Amino acid sequence: MLKIDQLISGYGSVQILNGANMKVEKQSIVALLGGNGTGKSTILRAASGLIRSWKGTIEFNGEQIQNLPAHEIVGKGLVQVTQGKDVFPAMSVTENLKLGGFILKSKQQLSDNLEKVYNYFPRLNERKDQLAATLSGGELQMLCIGRGLMSNPKMIMLDEPSAALAPQIVLDIFKNINRIRQDGLTVLVVEQNVRMALLLADYGYVIKDGVINVEGDSKKLMYDESVKESYLGGTKANV
Amino acid sequence: MFNKLRIGKKVENIIFGTFVLLYIGWCVNSPDMNIESLKSVLTIGLSVGIIYGLVALGISLIYTGLDVVNFSHGEFFMIGAFAGLTMFNLLGNQDWIFNIFPDAYGWIIYVVCLFTAFVSMGLFGVFIERVFLRPLTKKGGGYTVAGMGIIICGFGLSVVLINVAYLIWNPVAKPFPAELGLPMEIGGLFLPITYIWMIVVGLSVAAGLWFFLNKTKMGLGIRAVAYSKDVSNLVGINVPLYISIIFGIACAIAGIGGTLVGPTYQVVVFMGYIILMKAFAAAVVGGFGNLPGAIVGGFTVGIFETASSFYISGSHKDLYAFLLMIVVLMIKPTGFFGVQVKMKA
Repeated sequence: MLKIDQLISGYGSVQILNGANMKVEKQSIVALLGGNGTGKSTILRAASGLIRSWKGTIEFNGEQIQNLPAHEIVGKGLVQVTQGKDVFPAMSVTENLKLGGFILKSKQQLSDNLEKVYNYFPRLNERKDQLAATLSGGELQMLCIGRGLMSNPKMIMLDEPSAALAPQIVLDIFKNINRIRQDGLTVLVVEQNVRMALLLADYGYVIKDGVINVEGDSKKLMYDESVKESYLGGTKANV
Repeated sequence: MFNKLRIGKKVENIIFGTFVLLYIGWCVNSPDMNIESLKSVLTIGLSVGIIYGLVALGISLIYTGLDVVNFSHGEFFMIGAFAGLTMFNLLGNQDWIFNIFPDAYGWIIYVVCLFTAFVSMGLFGVFIERVFLRPLTKKGGGYTVAGMGIIICGFGLSVVLINVAYLIWNPVAKPFPAELGLPMEIGGLFLPITYIWMIVVGLSVAAGLWFFLNKTKMGLGIRAVAYSKDVSNLVGINVPLYISIIFGIACAIAGIGGTLVGPTYQVVVFMGYIILMKAFAAAVVGGFGNLPGAIVGGFTVGIFETASSFYISGSHKDLYAFLLMIVVLMIKPTGFFGVQVKMKA
């Protein structure tokens, strides 16, 4: 569904990605793992059009989408879900979700999708008239995922959904990600929490210094020594 | 160390309240103080204030949307006034309008002038943003990074626009003889009808903007873009288009302000600068970047200015707005409404 080929990109004049390759099959969950500053988020930002791709191709559903304006990529059904802090704090939960469905033309579709999101995350329904600034960390992450689902995407890319959350809430959110996949969406999840991500995913990529270092079936990666090494920067330790 | 120097919100309000009481006491002590003069001070203050408020609204809108202060905003106000006047001169001697609406002739033409100023300034604003400001953001990072360049560009644009207006309309002050009717009597006071037009149209524009921002889909998009360009991109909002729309709306509102002022005062090439500065003061007083605050700040500056020139000294009329701004910055730097919604940590 998503195919990234020899992608080179970065910020300003600083090159972060040095030719990354990866592939996400339809209706699968793929985990993209790596330490801080290895280029995980850069891949997402390039794919969703927030930064320019310098070289290489990004293919989505058979179409090349590199360097399209970000809003057109959303229109094609590829949506990036940011970390929980990136909501609109001065707007209510419902308004935040309605913004997620900004590209939808019909009101009917909007309310249907709103219903769908509240079905995934009943907590948001309880808090729908509150300002987003008053939500807890877990609720914010639910709001972000919900907002991503509002535009009827074919694939969502999650940027560290477990960041700074309690294990219980992480489990809850990951269960919901699995449900989203079962409902027919493709999911790419960028994570620092290696074990949780590999439990959830079917396939995993480990990125190091802007290139994909290790890839493979998530069950296999779980016990792969080189994953631990590349993830922890060469020092061997128990993950 | 700096934390100890900071005073609390309550203390801020008490000090500010004391200043307000002292000022009111000063005015009440003035020999000119009576209920008649107070009435005219209030009406003149409100009508001038709404004009400051409208321009301040545009400055605040551009500040929240583009993260820059537009220092050429006064010139959009001035050119808006000229656009309205040009339309007025075109329609003013058309007999057929008079034949169709013999009674409502004057104000129908004036409404058309206001509409002309609104639309033409909106389009002109979009043109300026696309052609002169947008290229400065080419290096990436958008308006936030290009900030200083845009501010300088705003000053330059201001000079250029004044001179272009000078070439087209020459520097002679021109009357705007809109025939809106006889003065109206309200509460024993004979008010020129143009004052009432200023207040009513100004408040309707502000209310219309509020409705547009809070109740329509495009308004929701504008508020989203004002908060975060990246997240707006990710929900599928065409951010460059929306930035143009924000700039256009702000300029269109300034244009209406210009045409509203025209009949009361005169239309002249140099009217933009002082309005910009006072609107800036109004925006600071109301809380920079806060839209209702801009209107309230406009009213405050307008009434303060008029009252001071009535009761204290009329020869320093242009001083008071900035005096108020300095006092507000010293005691209450956030302005009246400068409160931001903070994220829960």
